[in-house]
Amino acid sequence: MTEITSLLVTILVIMAISLAFSIGANDETLSVLVGAGLIKFKIALIIGGIAIGSGMVFFSGGYVAKTVGADILGKGIQYTTFMLLTVLISSILWLVVGSFAGIPLSSTHSLIGSVVGVVIIYAIFQGSINLGVAFNWEKLMNVIISWIISPLAGLIITYLIFKILVKVYLYRLKGLNQIEKSEKYFKWILLVVVIFAEIWVGANSGEALGILYGLLDNNSLNTQQYFIFASVCGIFAFLGIYIAARYVIKNLASQMIDSRPSEGIILQFSSSIILMIATLFGLPISHSHVVVFCILGLSLAQKKEIDYKALGKMALYWILTFPVAAILSGLIYYGLVSIGFI
Amino acid sequence: MNELDEKKLNKLSIDELSRLFMDNINEQNLQLISGIESLIEEDFKVFKEKLNYVIKTTTEVQIKKAFENKIFKSKLMFSKADRLKLFSKINDVKNIGEFMANRLLLYKVVFPDEEFKGYLLSILKSLRTISLKLSKAVKLIGSDLRESYQICEDIKEERRKMRREEWKLLNRLYNYDMDYLSRTFLYLKEMIEDIMMLADHIKSFSEYIQFLATKYLIFD
Repeated sequence: MTEITSLLVTILVIMAISLAFSIGANDETLSVLVGAGLIKFKIALIIGGIAIGSGMVFFSGGYVAKTVGADILGKGIQYTTFMLLTVLISSILWLVVGSFAGIPLSSTHSLIGSVVGVVIIYAIFQGSINLGVAFNWEKLMNVIISWIISPLAGLIITYLIFKILVKVYLYRLKGLNQIEKSEKYFKWILLVVVIFAEIWVGANSGEALGILYGLLDNNSLNTQQYFIFASVCGIFAFLGIYIAARYVIKNLASQMIDSRPSEGIILQFSSSIILMIATLFGLPISHSHVVVFCILGLSLAQKKEIDYKALGKMALYWILTFPVAAILSGLIYYGLVSIGFI
Repeated sequence: MNELDEKKLNKLSIDELSRLFMDNINEQNLQLISGIESLIEEDFKVFKEKLNYVIKTTTEVQIKKAFENKIFKSKLMFSKADRLKLFSKINDVKNIGEFMANRLLLYKVVFPDEEFKGYLLSILKSLRTISLKLSKAVKLIGSDLRESYQICEDIKEERRKMRREEWKLLNRLYNYDMDYLSRTFLYLKEMIEDIMMLADHIKSFSEYIQFLATKYLIFD
């Protein structure tokens, strides 16, 4: 049994590191910086990679990792390695299904949904634990509420920042030369803001570190091992950006060459502020949801047309992700219990 | 026209080069219009001189080369593609003008009557106005897009007025007792159509400037 547990821990650590790689690989934050053409592409990848990796490592001691890996559970319940494995399998499976179906899903929502499904089945069929104490309901509710508040806050903050910036500065720019000159300075601010944003993207990535923290919490890993693996996750997030994200970034950046750095600053700053606050409160939120609502806020402020139909469809998928992931993970875990695997 | 100093050209900014280019093309446009006015006055010598000026002037090629070199190397900017398009639109004015000049030199026309000449002069007056306004609008893009936008509105209004005159002129032309294939008829018809083509390009250019203003200006 000990050998199986060790093997499972190794698998989980490898999967957590792979998740860290995929977080870096899916990160598009740098595209706005590359599109602005301020620094060379490779340098941008290195800077972004270091920022996301640092964010992941520096905030691995608690915050989002602790919420996902320990705090979300009620007193007297701990993750088993099988629970963590099921959580990972389920959330990955749901994300893969979503990708094939062309449905944009949040990995954070998928992960928390999977945790909820597994814990419910564990509490009912294995631990004989009352559901009232199976979760830290206050924490769980805070996480779920943050999923509603964070995109809306992103929308409002972006809207307000744009309006204020227009009032105090942008409105006064009359000619293309003046606009270009000011956007040239904005590019440097954009560099700082993107680094800031990448740090908080890394810091709020609970998927990889949450699993590691779960292993730490159930004593499968000691503190030293945890921080070593957290650092490896940071390095793999860096590699994810440097090796895999370059294609997406290059592609998106080529579509952004005529976008204004000032708009990029507003979007990145708003989303990173939300990520920062959420991280400091230990709340894992969806970066992509926040960014979409920040773009929405900017579009509203600029009085651009909004495709409410597409937005509604996207919102529906967002809402469905959590229960579907919970049901899927619950079913997988129940199946493993039923066949006597666990 | 004298060759421009290459070193001086290379020192100019993208905006300065665009303005210089516009000035250059506008000057050729004015020469073309003035040449057609000379034709109306039956001063064929001046007519030929002015139209040859349009055809033979190549200074804009130097400016274009300097501009393209500069914009290609430029670390700018989110407006790079629009600047390039703006430049090519100015260049199109030159191409149309040169085409017109070549075609007008093919035949020595004598106008049917004074009334026809009057209509044509009125159209040329409008063409001169919109050409000057376009030049002003282009040169203001760098410093004042709102003003530039307003000038383009004036261009569109003048073009509308001009179009009514053109139809009157064409109507008059078709009602002359001339042989369908007569060179005079063809020449005059093509002249009017070429003027229309140039004016239409100026109008479409002004709409592009308005697009740029809407794109780059942020309204409160």
